[in-house]
Amino acid sequence: MNFMRQLLLAAAAFAALAAVSAAAALSEDDKGCLACHSQEGLKKNLGQGETLSLHVDGGEYATSVHGELGCTACHADINPKKHPGPGRKIASAREYAVAKVEVCTRCHEDKAKLFEGSVHATTLRTGNLWAPVCTDCHGSHAVRAKAAQEPMNSISCRKCHDEIFDAYAGSMHGLARSKAGPVKAPICVDCHRAHDVSPASTGTRLRDACLGCHAGALAAHEKWLPNTKTHLEVVACPACHAPASQKRVDLRLYDPATKQRMSDESGRSLDAKALWDLLRGVNREGAPAKATLIGRLEVRTGAESHLLSVKTKAIKDCVTCHRQGADAFQNVTISIIGPDGRPVRYAAQKDVLSNPASVESVSDFYVIGGTRIKLLDVLLALALAAGILAPIGHLLLRKLLRRKSTDRPQGGNPAP
Amino acid sequence: MHKLYVHPLAVRIWHWINALGFIVLILSGLQIRYSDFLAILPFGLAVQLHNGVGFALIGNYFIWLLFYLFTDKIKVYHPDLNPARYYRDSLRQAVFYGYGIFKGQPNPHHVSVYRKFNALQSITYQIIMILLVPLQFYTGLLLWDVNGFAGSIELFGGVRMVSTVHVLLFIFFSAFIFIHPYLASLGHTPSAHFKAMLTGYEEVEEEPAKDAPH
Repeated sequence: MNFMRQLLLAAAAFAALAAVSAAAALSEDDKGCLACHSQEGLKKNLGQGETLSLHVDGGEYATSVHGELGCTACHADINPKKHPGPGRKIASAREYAVAKVEVCTRCHEDKAKLFEGSVHATTLRTGNLWAPVCTDCHGSHAVRAKAAQEPMNSISCRKCHDEIFDAYAGSMHGLARSKAGPVKAPICVDCHRAHDVSPASTGTRLRDACLGCHAGALAAHEKWLPNTKTHLEVVACPACHAPASQKRVDLRLYDPATKQRMSDESGRSLDAKALWDLLRGVNREGAPAKATLIGRLEVRTGAESHLLSVKTKAIKDCVTCHRQGADAFQNVTISIIGPDGRPVRYAAQKDVLSNPASVESVSDFYVIGGTRIKLLDVLLALALAAGILAPIGHLLLRKLLRRKSTDRPQGGNPAP
Repeated sequence: MHKLYVHPLAVRIWHWINALGFIVLILSGLQIRYSDFLAILPFGLAVQLHNGVGFALIGNYFIWLLFYLFTDKIKVYHPDLNPARYYRDSLRQAVFYGYGIFKGQPNPHHVSVYRKFNALQSITYQIIMILLVPLQFYTGLLLWDVNGFAGSIELFGGVRMVSTVHVLLFIFFSAFIFIHPYLASLGHTPSAHFKAMLTGYEEVEEEPAKDAPH
């Protein structure tokens, strides 16, 4: 034990020494900057009680992936001869951080392009300054590369998605990830990607991510699951593989012409009135559909969809869904893609899945036993009653009316 | 009583395989659709059984189809191409089943080799065998592989339309499966037609009709 302790102390001392020596390796200009900015607590007063920290840990900066670039590589707008001057007006620390993304873009054009198409960038564009930008994940001065997402608990996604992260940490992926070993179970960015993050319930990226690692999943399901491809297309993986999750049916509005989900960005979206008209139409027999509704069975919340269990605990009992009154069909939403790229869901009555009008309005979503039309059940009961009672009635009438007759008619019912 | 060979072997083989298959399809279909009420088999096994028997009956259907297409026995459906007589005979047969049979009147239809069906049976079986059974097989086939037949399903009006047609026909056949044996019991003895469907020979009281084609 003493040996181990000594070893750890030696390692810590070495790291500290390395940082100091790295800081010592900075250019004279950088050292000049750090002469002031390494002071703990250095900050700029932005007014209204808000401050912007100006402190930079020289050691961290020097050992970061940007350590060799020098301060002015990113802070080219600072004139060393006039600095510190009166300074420019900065509205808020967050606005400053968001504006500084432009600096990253100069060198990391490819990543910036990916980020531009992400849900985070879209959220930013819609005015939410708290959507994450480069520095929120990579740091501003202690800039970390992608390996910085270790250890697991330091992953930056957790800052905003803590509830989902906690669910993930308890899942089979999270538990496997926390174990040391050469094979790494997936973490946030492996499925959702790091820069071009798309909303979870859009596209096929997440399903593709599952199948990317679990390459044998299709063949394994085909061994026991009829209509395998349809199931994998219509049912989200966690609906079965997160057995404790609550489900819902999301009826997605598709444009039949372009085969794309309808979105506000396409300019052909449904406004509130049009959607209300559609919802009313879904519940009214004979109403013409305004768009195609593609149904998908998914997990109700993002956190629940991360509660993935080992496959032996996955739902394999078909009757979980293939029965009337199954939980999955008690919660129905209709969704379009909203302006920020995320689905906007409107609650719908569960009856939309079993109403006779659904034959037309929800023509592409049908679960045997689960979304059956009640009118057909009544028809079956009547047909069975007629099939049984009509011969009995006919037979009784024959017996009653022909009691005196001994003749039987010849020629009944040969088969075709 | 004369014995007439009216049910060729191919038809009898087709008939009994079809009868047994339809019973299995109706029962497994009931279980698949109403698994919350009926659970004789595990759901997955019921689906496999339903699919397997469905394919077997599609194959079996061609025994019937090819037999009638390639033999002169197809005439049993239209012994004389006379629509007026067809209509008249249908009406007469309906009146017999709805009235005459209760009064002990003789069956207006007389069986012969090429007239084994009365007019009502003829039209009913043609609708069933040329329209309803193929439609049931086709919709069942589409539901068997929804992904593979996505294009055909879209043309049909969507998977829910396919399923609804399949279920409506299932409802019809569920009633038919009770009514058919009852009508088959209306021979000169209750078991006469059942025996005939096994042996091929119907017992008739008089000589075959003279206008029957040979």
